[in-house]
Amino acid sequence: MDSQGRGLSESVWTSLDRKAGAVIELTVRQLRNKISTWVVMALGALLMTLLLVFYIDAIRDGFESIDNDGDSFDEDNDGYPMGQERKYGTSDWDGESFPGSGNFIFEGQIDWNAPDRSISGNKTWEGSAILEATWIDYDYSGGRWSNIIDWDDGNVGQCQDGDPFDDWWPDYASACMQEDGTYVVSGKLKASGNLFVPEGQYLSWGFFTQEFFVEPDPPEMYIDEDGIDWDGSGGSQGIDDDGDCLRVGWPAQAEGEMWWEDPHNPDSNRNGVSCDVVWIINPNTGEVVSINGDDLVDEDPVDADYAGESSHRAFVIASGKVAFVLLLGLFLPLFLALGLVRDETERGTLHYLLSKPIHRGEFITYRVLGYLAVVSTYVIALSLLMALITSLIGPGDELIRFGDFPVWVGIATATILVLAAYGSLFNTIGLVMPKYGVYLCIIIGVWEFAMGFTSIISPNSPVTFLSISHWGLQIIDATVLATWPDTLQYSQMSSAFGLETGLEWIWRPPVHTLGTGNPYLSIATSVTFLSFVSLILISIGSSIFQRKEIM
Amino acid sequence: MSDELDIAGGVTRMESAFGSGDGDQDAQATVAQKAEIKGAIFEQSYRPWRGKLGPRWVRNYSIYRHHVYGLFTSKGHRHYPIMVRLTILGIFLFSLSPVAMLFLASMGGNGDFGEILSRLWGINRYNLWGQVLGFFPRNMCMWPLLTALVVGGMISDDRSNGTSAIYFSRPVNRIDYTAMKFLSSAVVLGFVIVFSYILYYTGAIVFRGEGWAFLIDTFPMFIGGLIAGILLVLTYTSIGLALSSISQSRFFAGVAFLATIYGTKMVAFLIESQFDSSILYIFSPYDVLAHIGQWLLGIESNYDHSLAFSVVSLLLMNGISIALLASRVSSLEVTRE
Amino acid sequence: MSSESPAVILESVSKWYGEVIGINDISLAIDGGVTGVLGPNGAGKSTMFKLLLGRLKPNQGSVRLFGTDPWESTAPFRRVGYVSETEPLYEWMTGLDFVSTMARLHGMTREEAIDRAEHVLDFVGLTDVRHKEVGKYSKGMRQRIKIAHALVHDPDLIILDEPLHGCDPLARTSIMSVIRELGNRGKTVIVSSHILEEIERITEQIVILHNGRLLALGNLHAIRGLLDKHPHRILIETESPRELAKALISREPVYGVRFPDQGYLEIQTSNLSAAHSILPQVIVDSGVKVRSVENPDDNLESLLGYLVGGG
Repeated sequence: MDSQGRGLSESVWTSLDRKAGAVIELTVRQLRNKISTWVVMALGALLMTLLLVFYIDAIRDGFESIDNDGDSFDEDNDGYPMGQERKYGTSDWDGESFPGSGNFIFEGQIDWNAPDRSISGNKTWEGSAILEATWIDYDYSGGRWSNIIDWDDGNVGQCQDGDPFDDWWPDYASACMQEDGTYVVSGKLKASGNLFVPEGQYLSWGFFTQEFFVEPDPPEMYIDEDGIDWDGSGGSQGIDDDGDCLRVGWPAQAEGEMWWEDPHNPDSNRNGVSCDVVWIINPNTGEVVSINGDDLVDEDPVDADYAGESSHRAFVIASGKVAFVLLLGLFLPLFLALGLVRDETERGTLHYLLSKPIHRGEFITYRVLGYLAVVSTYVIALSLLMALITSLIGPGDELIRFGDFPVWVGIATATILVLAAYGSLFNTIGLVMPKYGVYLCIIIGVWEFAMGFTSIISPNSPVTFLSISHWGLQIIDATVLATWPDTLQYSQMSSAFGLETGLEWIWRPPVHTLGTGNPYLSIATSVTFLSFVSLILISIGSSIFQRKEIM
Repeated sequence: MSDELDIAGGVTRMESAFGSGDGDQDAQATVAQKAEIKGAIFEQSYRPWRGKLGPRWVRNYSIYRHHVYGLFTSKGHRHYPIMVRLTILGIFLFSLSPVAMLFLASMGGNGDFGEILSRLWGINRYNLWGQVLGFFPRNMCMWPLLTALVVGGMISDDRSNGTSAIYFSRPVNRIDYTAMKFLSSAVVLGFVIVFSYILYYTGAIVFRGEGWAFLIDTFPMFIGGLIAGILLVLTYTSIGLALSSISQSRFFAGVAFLATIYGTKMVAFLIESQFDSSILYIFSPYDVLAHIGQWLLGIESNYDHSLAFSVVSLLLMNGISIALLASRVSSLEVTRE
Repeated sequence: MSSESPAVILESVSKWYGEVIGINDISLAIDGGVTGVLGPNGAGKSTMFKLLLGRLKPNQGSVRLFGTDPWESTAPFRRVGYVSETEPLYEWMTGLDFVSTMARLHGMTREEAIDRAEHVLDFVGLTDVRHKEVGKYSKGMRQRIKIAHALVHDPDLIILDEPLHGCDPLARTSIMSVIRELGNRGKTVIVSSHILEEIERITEQIVILHNGRLLALGNLHAIRGLLDKHPHRILIETESPRELAKALISREPVYGVRFPDQGYLEIQTSNLSAAHSILPQVIVDSGVKVRSVENPDDNLESLLGYLVGGG
């Protein structure tokens, strides 16, 4: 009992507690009574709904049939998918060239400098010449775009007057008849007879191999046909399940598909072993450091196993980083925290709160806590909603992906810590510089956004360390690694095999692990940093506010 | 002659604009007093004002210059805080950095260094596009910040201080008021964005000593970029003013503008990266402008959706913003809110 | 807690804002009863209150609230209630909400706070409207709710900054009676105003400030008496001023007459109350028709004029 006859339960502490409660409650109610609070929160909820709509749409489409290497497509519409054309050595960019269409075998040529400029025979020709025909294959007829002469069923027109290739030149892929019954030809043709090639012109010839019918493969055969084979250890692994790297027993070897492509090289990673994948594993941590595969090995894994999981993870990470930390984390405080004390000063209601037996420093802390109570509830509710829906409909055998929840907890934690840091920063700026604070806050907002964006794309650049958003994003990166340790592999596989799931750029291993690579250490450093920043800013704010004269 | 009192023929500019000096000063309200104990009836007679009103454009011009001149001198003009002025100067100087690089290149003679500099910063479609529409750093850090600072307070200041009464108690109607606010914001933004673009183009030609052939080759591109820049200025101004008209403080309007630009961009970016759909970019003012700018400058578009979507979206954005602005201004109360 | 020390002590306190002096070397102590602080706008009343509430730090001298420096410690605010002159309130709160929230800021529990708030609202006569939003209150109700919030924790010292400013006569009367009632209950009440007659109706104990200086301190009547030694003017509107002047000039307290305007007579006196006591008789005796008698000096400005200039 003290002199005033109060019990210990009625001591300074309990009344301090009550004052704190009252200030926090007042702050919460004030925020609740501002339209802007509701507008900002409604927009945040709208954003999450939008993300979920796209996510649900993507899930409903399913992750089953993504053709990661693109060999199920039929670019030239000849009915054969690229994988099959590749197998037969034909081009998927030329409709005339398809499995069974017969290959053109080159025999000889008259080039610009050849001394003998006449040739006879029954061949397939290409070039410019004057033809004295005994037989012409009118069925082998094309047009300008196929380079094959358009014979118009034998009804080609008369040539112009004058000497061909001297007074005039024939159009490409065309022919005309001269008065003496010979043809002036330019392009591809099948014919038997004598051909004279004028000076300065060119002609090559050869024959087509026998045509035969090849049953076109269904495109599905070339989807998910080459899974990632990895037993968890390092070294040379990988099986070319579909054989498009080894090419054993293939009818013909194609040159590059297109003129800019190099011919196929079964050992493009140059380790001396054809058609393998080199996995380099960190012997200490067992993590995949890099994956270096030969072309066309393990390039199209079953997507339900692979892409579904990676896309789901990429979505969770991207929502956490962009929607939660970068957008909500930055804009909620900009709208809600700057005015915590500043608005009271401007409106002239501050004295109600300052003429109370509450220490001014405590007052600042309670104000920030009140703001945090509002925004944290909101963030927790949103992240819980996102966690429930995505883990219910996400890929996998379980009914609910409980394994996702720690990541969502990490996202909520990161967002709340960022909200606390920004909240105390903006509040302190509003206190210290009532006049120019707002401009500084806008500039800081732009800076933080730019640094957050940079931090997503390249988290290692040291300049981003100077921002709050960077450390929040790091918490998410680290939680992901701690919860899903194989994300590193998924990410590595994504970039190694060119499987564009978005995971490879939205997630990077955490930076601030103090060299250990341990995600928990990274969480600890980031959480410490953000809490430290918040505390420092609040104490700067309180100590300045304490010594500030309020007019 | 002093800045603040520029007397032309004995009449200050404000007076010649608003006619406030022509007879108003000796106007009197005649009030009849009858000293009855029980009460008094005040007969009031109003003398109509017979001064000569300045033409409408003169009045509007004085609103316009009030907002624009404040950027350079604060005496008697709209006050731009020193921090805002410094930021605008910084942004302007930074947007001229390619000119500085080209100048360096021209000093460097024929060395490799100069060659590299002028290749990196010389005039081509991509650099002209990037000077106005490049995302980093221009549209990420510079233009939105500039707009937030300049446009944020244009109308919200009048709302919170009740200064709109200064305009509406004079022969200025709301269309004039809005139009002049719009024009002066656009001119300040254009001074930084479009003017620096023009300086870049002329600077590049001067420093590299290009001839007529180059000028003729690149001029259509330049015009394309110029149109893109003007579109950017107009769109940012109308969105910013609309937000300013619904806010009660310049800070709110500024942050709301940043939230609009960044939020739509980031959401569209997120959706595109995760779900391969670029259609949400039509909600992002920056991307709509960038898409149209790519077409204007003949650059291959990196958006999947058709240009028509972006054009329609740009028109809608401007239309909705201006409609919102107009309805807010027409219901603006002539008091402190 | 030194409950013996007076509620308010200012010892040679000065406060200036840059070049402008707000309070200039003021020493005073106030304890018990209602004290009126008088002074025109800009006299330093608000500055003095802000010093008392620890919102400003004195440049010189010391301020003590129940023996404690309010700038250093918020502890004395436990015993202080403050009604500011500023208008804004939390418009969205109901009256009861507002008062009970403020009570909780003093460390009361929720129930205690609501209980006290009900009580105080009854005291200021706002029980009927306690569930209405403050934003819908009339001017007088707003003033009373501000007083209620200042009283809710049963303070020993209540500071009211211009509580009657802008109120209609009805509200004025009810607020005055609230203030008088507080004084009767033994609280220390400090009321500021720039209108002398307002203060006159509340209290006799006054402090007069002008240009940051302490001009007078003590009982209003005593100060008035002191002021009576100074010349006063009485303005009489009459049809025949010269006739009336003749009758008045010979009387004791009148020592001079002037004719400032057609139909007006101004008499100068060194004893205002004496002059007023003889005036009716003289007018009746002279038979002159008088339209009005005015006391142009019976306001704060002329009072201050005398105090400052001595004449």
